[in-house]
Amino acid sequence: MEKPDYASMTLDEMAQALAPAVADAAVFDGWTDKAVASAAEFEGLDPDVARLAYPGGPMDMIEAWISATDRAMAEALPADMIAQMGFSQRIRSLVVFRIEQAAQKREALRRALVVMAMPQNAVRTAKLSWRTADLMWRMAGDTATDFNHYSKRAILASIYAATLTVLVDDDSAGQADTYSFLDRRLEDVARFGKAKARFTGGDREHFSLARMLGRLRYPAR
Amino acid sequence: MSEAEKQQRIDSMIRVDQAGEYGATRIYAGQLAVMGDRAPGAAEISAMAQQEADHRARFDALMAERGVRPTLLQPIWDKAGFALGAVTALIGPEAAMACTAAIETEIERHYTQQLDELGEEDPELSAMVTEFRDDEREHHDAAIEAGAERAPVYGLMSGAIRLGCRVAIGLSKRI
Repeated sequence: MEKPDYASMTLDEMAQALAPAVADAAVFDGWTDKAVASAAEFEGLDPDVARLAYPGGPMDMIEAWISATDRAMAEALPADMIAQMGFSQRIRSLVVFRIEQAAQKREALRRALVVMAMPQNAVRTAKLSWRTADLMWRMAGDTATDFNHYSKRAILASIYAATLTVLVDDDSAGQADTYSFLDRRLEDVARFGKAKARFTGGDREHFSLARMLGRLRYPAR
Repeated sequence: MSEAEKQQRIDSMIRVDQAGEYGATRIYAGQLAVMGDRAPGAAEISAMAQQEADHRARFDALMAERGVRPTLLQPIWDKAGFALGAVTALIGPEAAMACTAAIETEIERHYTQQLDELGEEDPELSAMVTEFRDDEREHHDAAIEAGAERAPVYGLMSGAIRLGCRVAIGLSKRI
């Protein structure tokens, strides 16, 4: 892969550009300054400068990694490609792309999940996973402007988080266990959605208090 | 003001406007559920409802296009709007019109404030808001003409509904 031009970057951009290398190093060193230093060395960057890009320590590094993955996802799956897929396929391929990215660095992922699970990082972790779910739904072309906007993101964030924890311990060939776990979760949601639609279904006759009172208040003329 | 803050402010405007139009469609839905096509004034209300539905559809589209999150309080506006519409329609056709007049007064005021705040910043949004505000003003005038002020305890009802609107607008901006 071509090396980015670090000299012309802001610290934020540098943090993101360096993040994949930091994740590689985190496989051995964890999400530490040491990982940043060896990533910087590998990328030909001054380690002291690189450290400045992550003032908040491990969570900053992890956030940059997530942002870099978001960016890669948007590049790998442009809008016109997604538009050709069916709706359930869209979300699945976005999640699959992220799994593929993380699967190459499972040890870094395991350590990231540990850092993210710490109580002091809970709020930030929740925001990050919301942001990721939000991005995936937007890329999938979601146009919900009602409460579904929130339930969709909440469901996807929880499925994605659960899938990552499966991935961490998945030693099956080609991460087959992770994918079948993901597919079962997505099927559950689809089945629930269908059941709900049948239950609240559009043209079913139902009692309406407003209509009854209205007929009393304004009888037929 | 930084770019991000500006963006946030405009997002919040779109959010509250969409919530307002959504609430309006729910109020009219409540009124029409009670009035059906039997009550006097039902035809006018159903025409206004159609316009509000169009406003809402266009804010929905803008929201999706710009990636603005909707208000989290939407399920509340759903129930509250419908209930307000149904109750005022049960009191009588004049009360339903009084409700419309009170709400459109507040929405018009809100849109005018928003236009002042926007200035030249976002011509697309400004154009929409201006157009919708003129519609709301027509609804208001039509409601007054249809006898809104003859409703029982008009002053009290109008005041209460307007206060409710202001609270709803304030909340939807933030949440």
